[in-house]
Amino acid sequence: MTFHLGYGTNGFANHRLEDALRVIADLGYTAVALTLDHHHLDPYADDVVKQTKHVAGLLDDLGLRCVVETGARYLLDPYRKHHPTLVCDEPGRRIDFLNRAVRIAADLNADCVSFWSGIRPSTVEPETAWRRLRSGVATVLDEAAAHGVPLGLEPEPGMFVEHLSEALRLREELGAPELLGITLDVGHCVAVEPDDAATCLRRAAGLLVNVQLDDMRTGVHEHLEFGEGELNLPGTLAALTEVGYAGVAAVELPRHSHAAPDVAARAITALRAASVLPARPSDVEWVTQVDHPWLVEAEARVRRDPTAIRTLFPAVGRKVGRAALRTETDPQGLVHGTVDDLARTRLLATLAEVLDGAELAGEVAQLYRYGDDAERRGVLRGLAALPPAAAEAGVDIVKDALRANDIRLVAAAMGEFGARNLDDHSWRHGVLKCLFVGVPLAAVADLDRRTDAELLRMVGDYAAERRAAGREVPADAVTLLEATP
Amino acid sequence: MRIFDPHIHMTSRTTDDYEAMFAAGVRALVEPSFWLGQPRTSVASFTDYFDSLIGWERFRAAQFGIRHHCTIALNPKEANDPRCAEVLGVLPRYLAKDGVVAVGEVGYDSMTPEEDTAFATQLALAVEHELPALVHTPHRDKLAGTKRTLDVVRESGIDPGRVIVDHLNEPTVGLVAESGCWMGFSIYPDTKMDEKRMVAILQEYGTDRMVVNSAADWGRSDPLKTYKTGLAMLDAGFAESDVDKVLWRNPVGFYGQSDRLVLDELPGFAPSPQTFAGNSVLRGGGQ
Repeated sequence: MTFHLGYGTNGFANHRLEDALRVIADLGYTAVALTLDHHHLDPYADDVVKQTKHVAGLLDDLGLRCVVETGARYLLDPYRKHHPTLVCDEPGRRIDFLNRAVRIAADLNADCVSFWSGIRPSTVEPETAWRRLRSGVATVLDEAAAHGVPLGLEPEPGMFVEHLSEALRLREELGAPELLGITLDVGHCVAVEPDDAATCLRRAAGLLVNVQLDDMRTGVHEHLEFGEGELNLPGTLAALTEVGYAGVAAVELPRHSHAAPDVAARAITALRAASVLPARPSDVEWVTQVDHPWLVEAEARVRRDPTAIRTLFPAVGRKVGRAALRTETDPQGLVHGTVDDLARTRLLATLAEVLDGAELAGEVAQLYRYGDDAERRGVLRGLAALPPAAAEAGVDIVKDALRANDIRLVAAAMGEFGARNLDDHSWRHGVLKCLFVGVPLAAVADLDRRTDAELLRMVGDYAAERRAAGREVPADAVTLLEATP
Repeated sequence: MRIFDPHIHMTSRTTDDYEAMFAAGVRALVEPSFWLGQPRTSVASFTDYFDSLIGWERFRAAQFGIRHHCTIALNPKEANDPRCAEVLGVLPRYLAKDGVVAVGEVGYDSMTPEEDTAFATQLALAVEHELPALVHTPHRDKLAGTKRTLDVVRESGIDPGRVIVDHLNEPTVGLVAESGCWMGFSIYPDTKMDEKRMVAILQEYGTDRMVVNSAADWGRSDPLKTYKTGLAMLDAGFAESDVDKVLWRNPVGFYGQSDRLVLDELPGFAPSPQTFAGNSVLRGGGQ
C-alpha cells in the first residue's frame, strides 16, 4: 500500500481531540483527517496558534499524517448547518474560515485543506453560484499559495459541486492551479457518480490530495461501515495503489461518534483484510476491476486482430504501470504480482476468447519466447486464466522459467497453473528452488495441498545441509518442516 | 556524483564491478548489443543474447541498485556474415521492448557494402520505431569512417539530435560537433580516449551534446572510467553541475528521447524521502 490509512475526527465528535488522536493511533491508523470544529482545534480560539503547535507535536509523537477538513456543521452559524457557504449571498465568513484552515494546515504540516462548495440556495441562479464559487476559491488559493498548502475540492452529494466532473471543470476554468487538487469520498462515488469508485479514482489520479473511505448505497447519501453498502473495497484500494496515490485515505463516518472506538476498530480490520485479498489471476472478480482505458482499448484490438497482442504485450508496463499490487507486504510483487502482470493476464484471457486451442498455445509460446523479463512473468501469471488446451504449452513454459535464476520468474512459475499442472518431481524442485533463491513460499500456490513426504524429506536435507555449513535455515523452510508432523 | 554510463557491456562483467559502480555513483546504464569477442554463427545466438539483455542482465543489475537499459542491433562486424545478417528480420520484435532505448550499435567496422546495407536498414528501423540510434565508429581508418558515417546518417533522414556517434577522439570530434549529432567518448585504460584528453576536449568544445562512457567489456577496460573522468573534470576546474551534465543529464537527455528510460530508485537501495503525490513540495515547512 502506497497510501496512509487514517480516520476522520468527525467520527470522534464525543471525544476530546487528544483522546481521539490517541485512540486512532492506537488502533493502527497512520493518518488522521482533522475536522476543525468548536471543540476540535477551534480556529476562532484566541490561542489557536498555541493549540495548533500542541496538536502538531502530538501528531508528530503519534506518527500521524494529517489532512485538514472543513465540514463542521455549526461552527460558523449556530442556527444554520454548514452556513455560510461559498455560493450563498455573503460568503465572506466561509472564505475567512478556509483561510484560517490554510494557516492551521501549514502549522500542522498537513497534506492539504479539504472543502466543498455548499448547497446552492434556491434563490441563487446557477450562473451566480458558479461565479461566486470561482471567485471564492481563487481568493482562498491566494492564501494557499502564501503558505504552500494544497486545497482539495470535494464533490459532495446534494451540493452545488456534486460530481467529480464538475470539480474538474471548475479547476480547469481556474487555469488548473497546481495547488487546487481533488478530495474524493469513495462512498459518494457509489451514491451519485455515474462510474464506480475505482474509475473515479483513476480519473482524478494525478490530482488527488485526499481520499475519504466509507461504504454507501446507490442513490443514498448515508455514510455506512464497510460491508453495509455496495462499495467494492478491495477494488477501490487496488485502484489507489494502481494510480500510485501516496497521501491520506481516511475513514469518514461522521454519524458513528457514539461508538467511535469500536467502529474505528472494525474499519481498520476491514481495510486490512481488503488490502491483502489475493490478486491471483483466477480471481475473476479482481481481474475485471482493472479498467485502465488503454487496457480496455487493447482488449478490443486483440478481439479484432489477435496478432495485435504481439505489439501490445511489450507495451503494457509503459502504458498501465509496473507497481507491485501490495507494495507494503510484497514490494517486488513476488507473491501477488504487479499491475502489469494483471493487465497481461487480461490480454491473454482476451486472446483465449478469439483463438482456438492450437493457435492459442502457439501464440502464447511465442509471447514467452520473445518476451522480456516482465512479459515472461506476465505469461506465467496469466497461464491460469487460459483454457486446458493451452496447458501443455504452459507446462513447457513453466519448466523453462524454473530453469531461470530471475526470482520473479521462479515465483510466477509456482503460481496456480504450476500447482495444477506440474508433475510432483518438477513441483518439488520448484519449491526447493524458491527456498534457495529467496522466493517467499507465500508465492507458491496450493503449498499445503501439494506438500508431501518427499518434499519434506528434501527440505529437511536442505536444512541439514545449511546447518552443517553453519548457515541459517530460511524461516520458510523451518515453518514448513514444523507445520507438518 | 550520480552517473549514467551510456555504454557498457555488463554481460562481460562481474558482480564486483556492479558493486564498485554503485559505490562510485552509477545508478543507471545502457548496454549496447555488440560482438561477443568470438564470432556468432547463427541468428539463435543473437536472440539468446538479446533475451539476456532484456531479461537476465536487467535483473542482475537491479540486484545491485542499478537501472539497466539496452540497445538492440546487428553490429557492423557481424553484418558481414550472411549467417548472422538474417537477424535483421527479428529485430522489430526486440525494438518494441521496455528498456530498449535505441537501435545500436550500428555503423562501420571495415566499411564493406554489407555494412552499408545493414547500417542504412537499421537507421530506417530507428525512425520506424521512434528510437534514437547509437552509432559505433570504426577503430581502423577512423576519420574516413566517421565522415562516411555522417553521410549515411544525413541520407537516412533521421534527426541528427537522435543520433549519438561514439568512440570519438581528437581528429573526429569536430566533424560530429558540426553535424548536430551527439558525441560519445569511450574512456579506456590504454586505447581510445583517456580522462585527461577527455577534459581537454570538453574545455575546447564545451559540454553540450557531450557523453562519456566506459565502454567496458571483456577486454582490458575499466567500468569506473566515467567516475574517474568526473574527478578529472573537477580537478581541471569544472563545476559539479558540469560533471552532472556530462555524466547524467546528457545521457538521460539523449536516451530519454526513447520515452523508455526508467530512472526511479530501486526499492531498498536508497533512503526514500517522504514525497507526496509523486513530488516533494514543501508544505508550510519554511515558516
